[in-house]
Amino acid sequence: MMRRWFIPAALLAAMALALGACGGDDGGGTEEGDGSITVFSLWGGSEQEAFQKVLDQFTQDTGIETKYESVRDFLPVIRTRLAAGNPPDVAIIPRPGVVAELARDDALIPLEDMGLDPDTINENYSDTWTSLATVDDTLYGVVAKANSKSVIWYKPTSFQEEGFEIPTTWDQLLDITEQYNSKGKKPWAVGAQGRDNSWTLTDWFENIYARQAGNDNYTKLFNGDLPFNDQTVKDALTEMVKIVNDKYVAGGIDTALGITFVDGIGRVFSKNPVAEMYMEGGFVGGIALGDVNPDLEVGTDIDFFEWPTISEEHGNPLVGGGDVASAFVNNEDNKQLIEYLATPEAGTIWVSTGAIASPNEGVAEDAYPNDLVAKEAEQLKTAESFLFDGSDLLPGTLGQDFGTLLQNVIKTPNNMESLLDDFQAEAEAAFAGNQ
Amino acid sequence: MSSSAVPGPVGRPRGRRLPSLFRRQGWQAFLFVGPALLLLGVLIVYPMIRTSIYSFANLNSRLEVTRWIGFDNYTRLFTKDKSFLNLEEFPPSGALANNIKWMILYTSLSLLLGLLIAVLAARVRYESLLKAIVFVPMAIAATAVAIIWKFVYEPDPSLGSLNAFITTFGADPIAWYGRADTVNYALIFAYVWASTGFAMVVLSAALKGISEEVIEAARTDGANEWDIFRRIQLPLLSLPMAVITVWLLVNVIKVFDLIYVMTGGGPGGASEVIAVTMVDEFGNGEAGYSAAIAVVMMLLIIPIMAFNIRRFRSERVTG
Repeated sequence: MMRRWFIPAALLAAMALALGACGGDDGGGTEEGDGSITVFSLWGGSEQEAFQKVLDQFTQDTGIETKYESVRDFLPVIRTRLAAGNPPDVAIIPRPGVVAELARDDALIPLEDMGLDPDTINENYSDTWTSLATVDDTLYGVVAKANSKSVIWYKPTSFQEEGFEIPTTWDQLLDITEQYNSKGKKPWAVGAQGRDNSWTLTDWFENIYARQAGNDNYTKLFNGDLPFNDQTVKDALTEMVKIVNDKYVAGGIDTALGITFVDGIGRVFSKNPVAEMYMEGGFVGGIALGDVNPDLEVGTDIDFFEWPTISEEHGNPLVGGGDVASAFVNNEDNKQLIEYLATPEAGTIWVSTGAIASPNEGVAEDAYPNDLVAKEAEQLKTAESFLFDGSDLLPGTLGQDFGTLLQNVIKTPNNMESLLDDFQAEAEAAFAGNQ
Repeated sequence: MSSSAVPGPVGRPRGRRLPSLFRRQGWQAFLFVGPALLLLGVLIVYPMIRTSIYSFANLNSRLEVTRWIGFDNYTRLFTKDKSFLNLEEFPPSGALANNIKWMILYTSLSLLLGLLIAVLAARVRYESLLKAIVFVPMAIAATAVAIIWKFVYEPDPSLGSLNAFITTFGADPIAWYGRADTVNYALIFAYVWASTGFAMVVLSAALKGISEEVIEAARTDGANEWDIFRRIQLPLLSLPMAVITVWLLVNVIKVFDLIYVMTGGGPGGASEVIAVTMVDEFGNGEAGYSAAIAVVMMLLIIPIMAFNIRRFRSERVTG
């Protein structure tokens, strides 16, 4: 009975295998485009609108149509499309770790192969940024957007009422935290739900770690040269849970783990706020003003200060992130778009929306529509040292799992040791597999 | 019946037989089922085989094999990946353990609630209205169900209806899906809400199929309502119940959308299930590892399917 079914089924399977083996050959060189470009990115809401303006201008200038697709599940989708041999024309990749992996799999087109001169493209970018798009000395894209993650958002009027000064040291920040709390106000909100939002915790950690353990250790840690169960990591986490705990976070850790990053912003800056401060990158401003509460007044209702210093020795490094625009298909249209995204004109249109700060040095300061983004751009330019968001550099699943680890640490700080030991075992395997 | 020339599944082998494929009826039958077989072959059998092969390899972004690694993906899955299976805790945690929790709670709750509503609704005047209400969630896409329940469970009482409710009694709001100890139950309940209607409709239809005469006869013989339910309705419902159980089990082994939208497997991996892990690993560029997870999922489903097929066959014997 079973066998009778099996023979035709097996025949069909074999046929399908043979079919699957055909197709998919790569032509070399830059081909003519078809006059339309699909662009993938995970931005939605106000971030998407801002980028759409850049694309619209590009279409106006060149006549090449663009189709923007907001892909929330960016990684699974991009990998499915690649596996199917049907990648998007251009994608904006949020993690340099992924840029490197895709580049090494030959999924990305080196700019030189498209006939673009890397030096011309990089003209307006400092090495810090170009290094994000460079894999094994080959340039694979343009850093489309930069952000500082070393900022803390607060309410100036609330600070005034309480008589708080902008904290410049960690101790001062802890002091403000305690004072808010003693007055019955919840000092902090955190939104770190699930896998999609746990990066807010890795940002907390990275800022503390860079300031407490220094740039060298930071670089070693995220390159696999220092174990995650090192004492420096434990020290940083011990500092982190001085703020990220049930006492100081609105609704406690359970709530922090139950709400998204955007909900967290709402807890501080919506019309019914329940907390006073929020720690996340420069993009919070754009989301707060664009999506959460358009009535906010910059400078009175919302503003940010730089992350305070923890140790004199290590000063105030800037932790930041950037997104890389890269082409998956080698054609004239895509070449033009990449080229356009690297121009000061594109950067100027983009920053004028107030959604982002541009790493492009050709973008004039007065292009920024409000003080928040201008301040962020200034911070990006003048930072004593720049560190890239460490969890985004980790290979494979490790970046996300690091967020999961931190969720567990803030939930049960007492288990820190064993959690870190487990994570280190996983990290060793991941780094070994990556070599 | 038994003298029919068509070999039924229980037909005894009698005399000399040609291989069935070459007999006239054999190839005629093949002609009829051919298109279906083609589709099944291309869309199910082939991907299954290919996924199984992939599970023994490391793959690059184009799904080209970079290295054959034997059972390494499986060893890693069961011994090293604590988010998949962690036996150091009691009860064990991880995606696999969560799926088992889902299988037990979701299946039994959906079935029992469905049965309860089917039996009780038959006794009220507004039966069809009641059943329609319970059935409505079936018509809602799982992602929409997820969004609805996300609002219900929202930690902020001004948004979350469940917390708004419990805070009126002076209780503190609970972050239902931010806590490792409540998140799975919160998710399971939401999914039960969405599937009870299915169990109810099938069981209700089966109940209507039970002849009134049988029940009247029982009443005349002095059976009370409980006896009727316990000794007549329940035994006659055992087949539809088995079918629903299988459907629910298969449905829950592959549960994905609700969790992916509501918690993404969090907090701290507490609500991971097999399918969510599979998609995440694939997104992280671990296609081979992800294929191994898919194979484990398939192996879990196969015995249930096999049971179902056997069950159908035995029904044909008795029927």
